[in-house]
Amino acid sequence: MERLKIRWIIFAGLLLVVVVSYLIDFRFGSRPSPQVQKCYDYIESLPDSAVVMISFDHEASSLPEIQPIALALLRHAFRKDIKIIGLSLFAEGTAIGYRLLNKVAGEYGKHYGQDYVFLGFKPQYISAILGLGESIRDVFPEDYLGRSLDSLPFMDNIISYEQVAMVISIADGDRTVHWIEYGNARYGQEIMAGLTAAMITSYDPYLASGQLFAVVGGLKGAAEYESLLGQPGKGGRGMLAQTSAHIYVIILIIIGNIIYFRNRSRQGRG
Amino acid sequence: MNIGIIIAGVLTLAIYTFLYKDNPVYRAAESLLIGLSIGYALVIFWQTTLMDRLFEPLFGDGELLLIIPLILGLLMFGRFGRKTSWLSRIPIALMIGAGAGVAIPAMLYARTLKQMSASVMPLVTAGGGFDIGGLVVVAGLLSTLAYFYFSREHRGLMGGVARVGTWFLMIFFGATFGYTVMSRLSTLIGRVDFLLTDFLHILS
Repeated sequence: MERLKIRWIIFAGLLLVVVVSYLIDFRFGSRPSPQVQKCYDYIESLPDSAVVMISFDHEASSLPEIQPIALALLRHAFRKDIKIIGLSLFAEGTAIGYRLLNKVAGEYGKHYGQDYVFLGFKPQYISAILGLGESIRDVFPEDYLGRSLDSLPFMDNIISYEQVAMVISIADGDRTVHWIEYGNARYGQEIMAGLTAAMITSYDPYLASGQLFAVVGGLKGAAEYESLLGQPGKGGRGMLAQTSAHIYVIILIIIGNIIYFRNRSRQGRG
Repeated sequence: MNIGIIIAGVLTLAIYTFLYKDNPVYRAAESLLIGLSIGYALVIFWQTTLMDRLFEPLFGDGELLLIIPLILGLLMFGRFGRKTSWLSRIPIALMIGAGAGVAIPAMLYARTLKQMSASVMPLVTAGGGFDIGGLVVVAGLLSTLAYFYFSREHRGLMGGVARVGTWFLMIFFGATFGYTVMSRLSTLIGRVDFLLTDFLHILS
């Protein structure tokens, strides 16, 4: 019972810290990390009408982290008049990807079929990634809405990865690894990633080897991207809450260690 | 208020009741989540795979070759009967064979060869200086490999190098755990944002 009480106090304390700090609308002037800067510079350097493929490879549960990243990247791309092909290799990401694309397209007055398309979901992600390198139409004969790709003016000259400048995989798991293993290794397609923070260290080796172009990672990555864009969003808004919660966790770790060492020294004396 | 937002808000609170203790409200919300996720995935698979790629082309457009994957797929259901379970080995063998054929060269190249080549780096910079980053990579690589080398006892020089390897591993685990905490806190912040903004309308 005593242990349960301590647990409740810790949880209640964390909730209080997050709620109170989230209610305060204070935004840090976060300096972008080299990875986020690299992503931003790359999209900034793309010419008008360049084509970018964005794959929503995530579950709904990671939306709080994924959505700010996706929104920042989509806003930047549409602001630069870059054409977007959306798709999903994770069933749950399908409706989310379609909704986010339409939302941001609406903000910038972009038209479906002319400025962007959404191809929908494809199972067997390995064969899908390999197939896209040969022919997008073979993998997705129709878009998410059931329209033939040939009927969309946007897709007139788009055959395969050859016409795609960058694939951006927005993921909460290992789907981006498959984009690297099959899209990059087999076809030389450049891959960029928007990842949950928990996945960042898994992708460090691919960043170091150059197989992965760059990463926008976690809520912090989204906040940095938003500040580069000059468009405040949920990423920046959440940074004070995240910093406060981290400080709370660090304090708990210090207290836990003090109690541990004090008990150990008492046991040693006893 | 939108009925969807009310349901989402109530379910969010139901899930968080687990922090007090395991209870029927939490279990009901959890079961709903699992059921919905599976149901949603099934509908998507049915529409995008079975209908679009199999039934419509086969029965609508007369692409008779699709009978082969249809039969292979049906053979998988053989697993449900003791006498027919051997039938499922045929499609499984095909899947494993084709899967391994596709995956092994790709993984060997992307995960092993490319990573090895990226690990071999000059320790001296173009300006003639010493590359500290390169040295850390080499030291981390060799000491971690030494830690996982079990054919020789970890004593003496080997023991010392392996111990350095454990430090590198601990740093990696620490960084990964730190990022995971960050990730989980982001999820909590996302839910708090939803509750304060959409559900309770405290924030605009």
